[in-house]
Amino acid sequence: MTDVQQELRNKLEGLERMPTIPAVLYPLIQYLELPPDQMEIQKVVDLISQDKSLAAQCLHMANSPLFGRWQKVNSVRSAVVSLGMQRMRDIAISCSVLALLPSGGSDVDPVVFWEHSLGCALVSRQFARKIGFSEPGKAYLAGLLHDIGIVAHLWIIPAEFQQCLETAAAKGIALHEAEIAYIGTDHCHTGKILGERWSLPAEIIATISCHHDPETASTQRELVSIISLSDLLCRMNGLGYGYIEERQVTFTEESAFAVLLSECPALRTFDLARFTFELEGYMEEVHRLVSVLYRGGR
Amino acid sequence: MSSSPFRAAETSLGPPNPVLVQLRDLVYQVAGIFQPDNKLRFLEDRCTKRMGVLGVTSLRDYYDCLTIKPIRQTELLNLLNEITIGETCFFRNQPQLDALRNIVLPKIVEARAKLALRHLRIWSAACSTGEEPYTLSMIMLEELAGKLKGWTYEVIATDLNERSIGQAKNGLYGTYSTRNLTAYFKQKYFTARGNELHVNPSVREKVTFNRVNFLDDARMAFIKGLDVIFCCNALIYFDMGSKKRVIQHFYNNLLPHGYLFLGHAESLYGVTDDFRLVHLPSATAYVKSAKRVVSR
Repeated sequence: MTDVQQELRNKLEGLERMPTIPAVLYPLIQYLELPPDQMEIQKVVDLISQDKSLAAQCLHMANSPLFGRWQKVNSVRSAVVSLGMQRMRDIAISCSVLALLPSGGSDVDPVVFWEHSLGCALVSRQFARKIGFSEPGKAYLAGLLHDIGIVAHLWIIPAEFQQCLETAAAKGIALHEAEIAYIGTDHCHTGKILGERWSLPAEIIATISCHHDPETASTQRELVSIISLSDLLCRMNGLGYGYIEERQVTFTEESAFAVLLSECPALRTFDLARFTFELEGYMEEVHRLVSVLYRGGR
Repeated sequence: MSSSPFRAAETSLGPPNPVLVQLRDLVYQVAGIFQPDNKLRFLEDRCTKRMGVLGVTSLRDYYDCLTIKPIRQTELLNLLNEITIGETCFFRNQPQLDALRNIVLPKIVEARAKLALRHLRIWSAACSTGEEPYTLSMIMLEELAGKLKGWTYEVIATDLNERSIGQAKNGLYGTYSTRNLTAYFKQKYFTARGNELHVNPSVREKVTFNRVNFLDDARMAFIKGLDVIFCCNALIYFDMGSKKRVIQHFYNNLLPHGYLFLGHAESLYGVTDDFRLVHLPSATAYVKSAKRVVSR
């Protein structure tokens, strides 16, 4: 660990206002491990309903076409019944993560990070399904949480982080490159510290830690690679961090692609062009939904 | 049929009509042009228009017209015309043009550094009534005044339709074609003529117009040494065999560092391995997969 990383760890651990993991998040994540027939509707309803603000946000989200609901649902229970346990769990996790974003501290608009995270979660889940990855639910969760280190930066070093973001935007470079140049470390490392502090599952920590460098992951390289490519796809298609990365990306030459190719044969015939065009179809709704949730949720 | 899990189509109207999704998939499979969920209403409008002409009352029956009826090939062309009609205008695809300026041209200039000739050749392969080649010419003039100082360029503009080329050569445009033009470009590169705008000679003199049929191998082989090809909404009209033939020409026409831009949401999936897809900010393009020359 470098001096900078140690300093950030100390700041993170010494921070009084650093949010603890939302109470509802961990039990919901644990539900990932359960087979569907062992999930209890009432338990999920109770978990979500404990927090009125969370319940209201979940209903907003449950009524979005992003989650496949077309008739209005008015209660958490009806949402769980009509959308299913898995989708409702995804929604509740997404909303609980929203609560982590700080308000104030810098001029950075945290909403863009949440838009990116939600977009990445949706893309990761769909990508996972299309290439035959066995746990698309995990891909959703990992996509949602992969940039949790940015939340930590917004909490502990808002001014420095703002400088990184401005530099990245001005140069059109990737945010983690600006972080390394300016802070000396990036959100992957800070996110790992936070993930460990929260006792997140090992595969989620691996994703948080290695999504910009998937070949360095010692475990879960398939999942990490799915999130890595989905993250990049979002950033190249208007669901990034609120600025344009001026670069050309050849997905088939990304290290994550090579990792996945050995694990998922379906990737050989995967139509990346079409997948990119599909993303355009729901980007608008991601922006709209996050805007409604954020305004309504704070 | 494949369906999107995101289902971000019309929120007020319920989930996308499954037949409409089938139609979308058919159009993509046959023509390579994709309508994302948020454009399904547009696709439905286009289909409805064609259904009116044919006297067909349901999308299911219209789907049959495109698949099992004897008219299917003609009708598919009619539908594609409806989908792409009215798309022609100046600065039609801004992210694509931004990527050209900010990423592609600098990469080409870097690749060309070894060559003595500081000259760029851009081909607007399906130029229609000229908006695209003139847009490219204006962009190049802007670049020549900045990052590409000392360079020269030419825009080769071709189309199958003689009448479109005639209109393009006139360089006169109404409000619909010029709707995306900023005041800056209007003022700098156009002269008002009544209700229309006329492209200034500085833009026009760099553009040459010719009628070219993509299936005319001799003519296609003649257009060589290109840095960039724009071919928007033209390949969609070709069957797979012809499409492969045209793409092979494009491959040979382009320099090793060359770029091929297609229309918005247009793809070469399943057509060729000679090109590989690259992502640019909110745009895609194709570059050559490997250095090899294929002769016909």
